[in-house]
Amino acid sequence: MPQEPNNGRASRQVDLGGRRALTIIPAYNEADCIQRVIRDLQERAPWTDVLVVNDGSRDATGRLARETGARVIDLPVNLGIGGAVQTGYRYAREEGYDVALQFDGDGQHRASRLADLVVPILAGEADLVIGSRFLVPRGMTATGMRWIGIKILSVAISLFIRRKVSDPTSGFRAAGRRAIQLFAAEYPQDYPEPESLVLLHKQGLRVCEVPATMRRRRDGTSSIRPLHGAHYMSKVLLAVVMDLVKAPVHLEEEVA
Amino acid sequence: MYFFRWEHRVALVLAGGVLLLMTFELIRKRRLREEYSVLWVLTAAAILVSGIYPRVLEWVAMRITLHPAVLMTFLCVLFLMAILLHYSVVISKHSEREKGLTQELALLKDEISRLREEVKEARKQPPERKPRPPALRT
Repeated sequence: MPQEPNNGRASRQVDLGGRRALTIIPAYNEADCIQRVIRDLQERAPWTDVLVVNDGSRDATGRLARETGARVIDLPVNLGIGGAVQTGYRYAREEGYDVALQFDGDGQHRASRLADLVVPILAGEADLVIGSRFLVPRGMTATGMRWIGIKILSVAISLFIRRKVSDPTSGFRAAGRRAIQLFAAEYPQDYPEPESLVLLHKQGLRVCEVPATMRRRRDGTSSIRPLHGAHYMSKVLLAVVMDLVKAPVHLEEEVA
Repeated sequence: MYFFRWEHRVALVLAGGVLLLMTFELIRKRRLREEYSVLWVLTAAAILVSGIYPRVLEWVAMRITLHPAVLMTFLCVLFLMAILLHYSVVISKHSEREKGLTQELALLKDEISRLREEVKEARKQPPERKPRPPALRT
């Protein structure tokens, strides 16, 4: 198929070297944009399989997602973002995927940037790669109280895991095999993005960040629902501190 | 001076006895699992014992310079908190299980629909030998 010049944002060809990648889209009542999101992925990141985890949506999300040819898993009850994403990781583990990518169902992530996330994993440099909004000089960042909240979280988590993480709440990320194994067994429920970083650190897995621009949300509200600065931040901090003292997860050795 | 008069003791023995019998009855009818009944049996026994030997409670209350009534209230609150904590643990365990089961159910449903399609495809094809389909996940 001839490559069209995609106003400079053509899909970067990614050589996975025979390895397989799965993009997990957790979706709860995203009927308005789910098809656009999936088509965007199919067009700009054709190297990855797409899995929509329909988290007990009350609208047509599941049916619309199926129409696009994506694989859809319907959760019979709503589990929340953590439980939905974990379902995707369990699927990735069972099906033996080498890379699992997380992608929001609301259209704020860019499929054309997905390739950047995979590179450090394929190079064996990291177990989890975060697409950070704050490593790019321009583009969408967060505003006001939300920005302060994320900033404080970023400082705290960077201290805890002894590694600079500028955007701990980003849901635009890629996980390698070891992280897939870990997340399939144990994935935080309440504030999965920041909490999972602590979990990874405790299990001795490596995290790194790459710059990523994001779009402004078109429809719907953030899955990080009450991003009311201080309140949100203190709850996340508490959860993160609790994660630090929790007993480590014992994983079964991966059968080669 | 003794705090517990005989009316109090009868009331305590009755309350403890009834609670104990109710717990046993619920276990017998399999409406209460043994693992959740330990706290209740222990409490019922404690109430019963304090009715039969009220001097124990009075002695403890005197040692820690509390009125026996205050001591009893305090013990009740302590017990209620223990039960609530126990419930929180049980709820956490169950929500974790429910999450795992929900995920497993969704994954299995997906696998069944895939297998169905495979079977449908296989039936459409003429019965000539074709290469084995890739191994299913175990």
